[in-house]
Amino acid sequence: MDDFTLGLLTNVGLFSFLALSAYLLLLAGEMSFGQQAFFGVGAYAGGILTTLYGVPLPLAALAAMGLGALAAFLVGLPTLRLKGLYFAMATLAAAEIARLLFELLHFQREIEGELAGPDGTQGFRGIRWIFEQGIEAQEFLLLTYALLALVLAALLLVERSRLGVTLRSVGEDPELAAALGVNVNRFKLGVAASAGALAALGGVLFAHHNTFIEPRNFDIMLGVHSLAYALIGGLGTALGPLLGVALDIGVLEGSRIFGGARMIVFGGLVAVLLVLRPRGLLDEALVHCITSRALQRR
Amino acid sequence: MLLDLLQNTIDGAAAGASYALLAVGFTLIFGVLRRVNLSYGPAVMIGCYAATWLHLNFQSGLIVLALAAVAGTVLAGAYVERLCFAPHRSGSAIAAMVASFALWMQFEELATLVLPRHVYAFPLLHEGAPVEFLGLSLRPDALAVLGVAAILCALLQGLLHRTRFGLAVRATIENPHAASLAGIDPGRIFVLIFALASAIGGIAGFLIVATHGQVTPMLGMWATLKGLLAMMLGGLGSLRGAIVGALVLGQIEAHSQWFLGPQWRDLVAYLLLFALLAANPSWMTRWTISRSAS
Repeated sequence: MDDFTLGLLTNVGLFSFLALSAYLLLLAGEMSFGQQAFFGVGAYAGGILTTLYGVPLPLAALAAMGLGALAAFLVGLPTLRLKGLYFAMATLAAAEIARLLFELLHFQREIEGELAGPDGTQGFRGIRWIFEQGIEAQEFLLLTYALLALVLAALLLVERSRLGVTLRSVGEDPELAAALGVNVNRFKLGVAASAGALAALGGVLFAHHNTFIEPRNFDIMLGVHSLAYALIGGLGTALGPLLGVALDIGVLEGSRIFGGARMIVFGGLVAVLLVLRPRGLLDEALVHCITSRALQRR
Repeated sequence: MLLDLLQNTIDGAAAGASYALLAVGFTLIFGVLRRVNLSYGPAVMIGCYAATWLHLNFQSGLIVLALAAVAGTVLAGAYVERLCFAPHRSGSAIAAMVASFALWMQFEELATLVLPRHVYAFPLLHEGAPVEFLGLSLRPDALAVLGVAAILCALLQGLLHRTRFGLAVRATIENPHAASLAGIDPGRIFVLIFALASAIGGIAGFLIVATHGQVTPMLGMWATLKGLLAMMLGGLGSLRGAIVGALVLGQIEAHSQWFLGPQWRDLVAYLLLFALLAANPSWMTRWTISRSAS
């Protein structure tokens, strides 16, 4: 595999975590414009831990996920009772606050004769744990997809369980869910925290894959992209968001046939697609149809 | 000190006036269609790019450039309406919003394909030094923006509350189905409101680039964010609220930049929005266009 394909495939994997994070909240009936904040929290926290304190990546990832979950919990606490656009705007504001705080974050130390650490708008250079450990790009790709497979398996299991039913019912009709004995607010907080942890995990991997991060990596564009991935791919199954990411990064970045007009083609495609399938390619009806057929055959 | 405070207030008012125009266009679309149009700012950017293209190739005068900005924005807006809002009129609001985001991508790429440099100079409304008055520096172009914004907002208020068209618009906001029973075609209202909002956006865009003196592809995201922020600060879907929100936003930015530094300018505005939403004051959810009459 050449470097270009490797980088592309890794990026598909990395942004899938963010898309799944947005998807999880969409299932619970909340549209967040701010998941990129937790991706950023993960990236910065993970990068600081491995680069400045020499913490091994697995431990740093766990800590970053904890921090991402905590941040998402704190943002969710006052905002999750807001409806629709209000929640979307509150999360957008929170994410922009996070991005602007990254711009104010100066925390540099001398590591092996060189200054390392976040330097405000100049970004955070030299997150080199992967290279110091001699991990090849291919191995990192495998690691990313192994983690993604793990997350995906967990999500698919959850969707088949009682928990998944609760999740969708909270999203579809919170009053009914509450009447059936679900503590909707607490449940949504749990979902938000898990989605935050998921985004943070993606962020840690992103930081270590890129070795350089800067505040504007985590701007509103990234957030709306992750929402769009989930909505284009479909809300019927956790595979939907992955399809969305693969479509955008994989097919369009990979194919250079459209040259400079790539986004024009892709943008038009998405708009038309949403007219034909407003709930995405793999929507609930299609997923239900496929699974029930598969069950019949058995 | 007092003089600085006064100077900041004036600068903030000028910025707030241009935000007000953006927010009014945004609010018209949201108030009538109940849909968020993320492509609003990018459409404004397309209008400004059309004007810049004319400026570069034909050295057209300011009036021609203003007309080009409005025409370009309305055309881009019509495209957005056809592809993102007409098909989702009775369907999903989220699908419409994501579709409008997809067109945003298109607009940004189109702009950079036609004019690939990162920044282009745009002719200024007023060349030369600001006027000194009692120790304050007053920019004539900023005052012009304030004046145009005030006149446009007054005209719009008149249009919505004094004309048959305005009545039809308010009836459609209240209940599209009942309006159609009374002989109003809601689809037509939606299209006309979109065109009106785009025209206002085009004027706003022209005034903004002609006072800043430059055009960049970032204008699209910037205009959408400022419009959204002002609309949310002033409640949702109320024209008066949007204007108040925009003026408040202008003041917050000017003063926080002065007292805390440029890096804090946007931070304070977002913190305030977050705090307002978290506190969920009831006035934020209660206002609508039709009720702003009372």
